[in-house]
Amino acid sequence: MAENKNLNENLKKLEQISQWFDNSSQVDVEEGLNKVKEAVQLIKQSKERLKQIENEFEEIKKEINNNEQ
Amino acid sequence: MDIDKDKIYTVSEFVQFLNEDLKWMKAKIVGEVGEAKAGPTGHMYFTLKDDKDGSMLSCIMWASKYRLFGITLEPGKKIVAYGCPNIYPTSGRLSFVADTIELAGEGDLKKQYDELKAKLEKEGLFAKENKRPIPKYPHKIGVITSKQGAVIHDFLNNIGSFGFDIKMIDSRVEGQGAVEDLLASIKTFRNKDIDVLVIIRGGGSMESLMCFNNELLVKEIVGFPVPVIAGIGHDKDVPLAAMAADAMVSTPTAAANLLNESWVNALLLIERLERKILASYTAIFDRFKTVENKLNVSLQNFKNNIKNAIFKTGEYGQKLETKFALLCDRLTEKLQNIEKLIELNNPERNLKLGYSIATVNGKVIRKTGDVKIGQAINIRLSGGSVEGEVKKIN
Repeated sequence: MAENKNLNENLKKLEQISQWFDNSSQVDVEEGLNKVKEAVQLIKQSKERLKQIENEFEEIKKEINNNEQ
Repeated sequence: MDIDKDKIYTVSEFVQFLNEDLKWMKAKIVGEVGEAKAGPTGHMYFTLKDDKDGSMLSCIMWASKYRLFGITLEPGKKIVAYGCPNIYPTSGRLSFVADTIELAGEGDLKKQYDELKAKLEKEGLFAKENKRPIPKYPHKIGVITSKQGAVIHDFLNNIGSFGFDIKMIDSRVEGQGAVEDLLASIKTFRNKDIDVLVIIRGGGSMESLMCFNNELLVKEIVGFPVPVIAGIGHDKDVPLAAMAADAMVSTPTAAANLLNESWVNALLLIERLERKILASYTAIFDRFKTVENKLNVSLQNFKNNIKNAIFKTGEYGQKLETKFALLCDRLTEKLQNIEKLIELNNPERNLKLGYSIATVNGKVIRKTGDVKIGQAINIRLSGGSVEGEVKKIN
């Protein structure tokens, strides 16, 4: 689940960066470029996680409790 | 096992022999409950009576099974019992051992469904506010369904390739016998590390879905440690197990899509954010570009001004030349006048005329008070100078 948490956090960070751009009327160019750099990294990681990964399938046996008679 | 005609069996051996064979005589029997009583440990002893000729069959249902089905055995109730006969060695009595029971009377199923639904509703087991959200980006999925049939294939064909770790337990999903299987499957998954549990089966009649209208199953689902998705096909009456689940869909495909949803949305979200952030990034450079463009315009204006100046210079060049020449002439004339004036005032000219300039200590003597007796005096004449001494001042 760890990697999925990461995905969740990456998406949150990306939203924050997007909001930062929305909210700064006077963009600090240096900071802006840093944010973009970070965003590119996050996008790359997230896309990596979201690309086609084979599922694993396994049949397991149910445990029958023999509690009768 | 065939009977050995030459052998003399003991009673025990023979009863055992019969029971071995009877075990295979699984049957569904319909009848009306005659007497019914519960033993001290909860096992049910009852009779089933043929409603036409009154034939009787004594039956047993073990407590562990009896409590699964939510049906109270009472005289007059018409049921279908499924099980096999068995001879109890201690009494020599043959009893039909029922594994499952279900109501058989017209409208009884619906009545049982309605009653149980009302009861569980009252207990708040279907309450919306108790539903848990399906976790975002689920990874480990537990699936309970029958291995037979298209359901599991539909599910697997529609679940996205997001690296799901799917564990399946094969369970019967039809008829009352499925209750025990479903309960055991859920209990097994209780101890497994999963993010979400999915219970799926295809559509069916109320009769075939009765296993999902089960109080114990509903309670297992409500109390399950992680959210449960039910994808159970149905007609009018929603299976109670589905109502108890945290999310309810009616096909295995829909269940798969529900699990895909957050992953697919994440992909869309990333693409949207990517576009937006890159647009903001471009905007930074656009700002530079605006400044650059402004600069270019200013530069162009400056160039134009110079060009104009050069052009104008060309146009007026001729005029300027004439004016300049005129100016030069005037200056020459003025210079000549000055030269004359200077020449007139030149001391050298006066010296030539016989005037002389006397100086003491380099200072021109203009009046008698400028010198003292005994001072050295220098007299400048045309062509040189003479030195002398002041002897007398008159």
